[in-house]
Amino acid sequence: MGLKGTAAIVGAAQYKPEKYSTAPQMFHLEQVADLAAQALADAGLQASDIDGLCINGPHFHEASSFVPAMAAEYLGIALNFAEVVDLGGTTSVGMIWRAAAAIELGICQAVLCVIPQRMASFGPDDDPSAMARAMRFGGHSTQYGAPEAEFDLPYGHMGQNTGYAMIAQRYAAQYGYDQRAMAKIAVDQRFNAQAHPDAIFRGQELSIEDVLGSKMVADPLHILEIVMPVAGGAAVIVASKELAMRSKGRPAYITGFGERLGYKSPSYSPDMTETPVGPAARSAFAMAGLKPADMHAAQIYDCYTITVLLSLEDAGFCAKGEGMRFILDNDLTYKGNFPMNTHGGQLSFGQAGSAGGFSQVVEAYQQVAGKAGDRQLKVCDQVFVSGTGGVMSEQGALILQGA
Amino acid sequence: MSNKPMPLPTAISAPFWDGLKDGRIMLQQCNACQHWIFYPRRHCNSCLSHDLSWKQVTGAGKLYTYTVARVPTLPEFAGAEPQILAVVELDEGVRMNTTLVGLEPERIEVGMPVKPVRATVNAEGAILLRYTGVDVPLDERDEVVRAPEAPSADAGPARQQIDVKDIEALKALVTGEFSDWSSQILVDQELIDQFAALSGDDYWIHTDPERARKESPFGGTIAHGALVQVLMSRMQVPLSFEVTGFTNMVNYGSERLRFPSPVPAGSLLHSRTRVKSVEVLPRGTQMVLECNIHVVGQERPAVINDLVILYM
Repeated sequence: MGLKGTAAIVGAAQYKPEKYSTAPQMFHLEQVADLAAQALADAGLQASDIDGLCINGPHFHEASSFVPAMAAEYLGIALNFAEVVDLGGTTSVGMIWRAAAAIELGICQAVLCVIPQRMASFGPDDDPSAMARAMRFGGHSTQYGAPEAEFDLPYGHMGQNTGYAMIAQRYAAQYGYDQRAMAKIAVDQRFNAQAHPDAIFRGQELSIEDVLGSKMVADPLHILEIVMPVAGGAAVIVASKELAMRSKGRPAYITGFGERLGYKSPSYSPDMTETPVGPAARSAFAMAGLKPADMHAAQIYDCYTITVLLSLEDAGFCAKGEGMRFILDNDLTYKGNFPMNTHGGQLSFGQAGSAGGFSQVVEAYQQVAGKAGDRQLKVCDQVFVSGTGGVMSEQGALILQGA
Repeated sequence: MSNKPMPLPTAISAPFWDGLKDGRIMLQQCNACQHWIFYPRRHCNSCLSHDLSWKQVTGAGKLYTYTVARVPTLPEFAGAEPQILAVVELDEGVRMNTTLVGLEPERIEVGMPVKPVRATVNAEGAILLRYTGVDVPLDERDEVVRAPEAPSADAGPARQQIDVKDIEALKALVTGEFSDWSSQILVDQELIDQFAALSGDDYWIHTDPERARKESPFGGTIAHGALVQVLMSRMQVPLSFEVTGFTNMVNYGSERLRFPSPVPAGSLLHSRTRVKSVEVLPRGTQMVLECNIHVVGQERPAVINDLVILYM
């Protein structure tokens, strides 16, 4: 079952995360073309090599439908494969395996996977308050007939913070909770961010006391355990082995993947503390013929510290209920014995909307390709990547391997 | 009238909401596989059969999980009680998103038995199903926001009398600590409309609930900042002192006036003050009172006003 492992990531580009107030404003089509050119330059490939596209549909500025055709026309590229991926924070992971699968099927040779997340400039008739209005319910639908509009919003269940907090409280009741261990996730990742020139929190060190002393947002989550939204965006080129051989860096072959979703609100999951990344990761490891202990790095989607804890456990890096001990016993920095989120994670790198998950994919690629600068691991041939959308509603996993 | 989101029943869900109005909790059960279903659907979410029946249940269950939202999930959910979001697992096995009421956060434990509370949430009689502990004497409650009773004029403990010429005593009042909260006042659409007529500021963001619900970033109408500012006069702040011995006292204006957060129509307000500075100037003795007006339960003030009072 699954991939043969002949498609690879061969190039990537990622905007430096910036505050919305200071980031350049660009149309999304403009960002797609800009990021594509940068990623192709990184790969040493030509625009004419691209014949596949994975792009976001939700939150695409210039259109809400026909997005791939519009982007192909704008880029001037004809496609044999076009896909809109709508998986929240695991959209980027979902794009990479779809691209690899399309390439292995032989229908295309190079796929541009791209999510633009800088703001577009306002038109004369645009309503600047529309965004604030959309943000008010934080990803919850307000449409008549949407179950969450009817059964969540009136009770104040909305956004992400309280959903993740309730998962953490359930976990605490089942397995116990050590807030110092949770804070250490943020602290180790902040250390990593000091070695990434683009990280939004570069230059600001963090201690466990800082995290525990920060404002409580929803018990037990402090504000420094929650990502900061930023403007950004990223593109990754996935290519066939033939193209990968003539690209200029070391390719990162996609040898395993998994995806799992079954509900939007975790209230309706069979068990809130058994997250979908479990089955997704088992699929990915089985496909690659590898196990968690074989990984040289783990790039774990980290919208919250609790996301990391549950992902480490459910992906099999430690036993269920042992996550906090695992975090305390291991050094999660790029200098440590279990390098995790070596770019700082989204907690310290910044979360560029649904492109936030690309930060994990791009970091995994750059570590395999030897492009990780000051935070480069000595040996990095096998990396695990996870993605998380919604409130641990939809999750994905990838295994990337250097040849 | 409130900007809080309210459930809009559909043809599928109406029996659930109608049941609540009649005091019954209705759940669907699949006649084919006996699976209990929540939220309401046309089909069983276990076997996809469309052969379902509505059945009355007690609503009793156990607390699956919860969180205390220290930052309200919308400004409208701020209130005197903390916002405690919860997931309850009913005895039938289905889970519901809800809120806990009548419980101190310290008393709440995952797994504790809980019982339903019918809460009337607006003047139109909409009912929400909240939960509380089984030992709490609470089965129904009225959550419709109404104007609080005006405080009695002679209320309050005796205040320290300070003569305006006793500058040292006046300066000793300067503090970083705010007073206790004042009495509360309701800012409803009627009051906002009156202020719009009086001031001439009838911008739709204040006066047109229908349009504001669709187009305003706040999801409903908000009070004028200037209205909230002047409502200070209608709130009784428990000050510990009273200045005496002056011939005239004037409101000399404001050193700083800010409206840091919006006040949705239907909010309860209260305020608190502190003496920020006392100075003797050629024109008189000047006291700056920092007056902060908050929506009840909101940490961030709606109005910050460094009011300058001149005693002559």
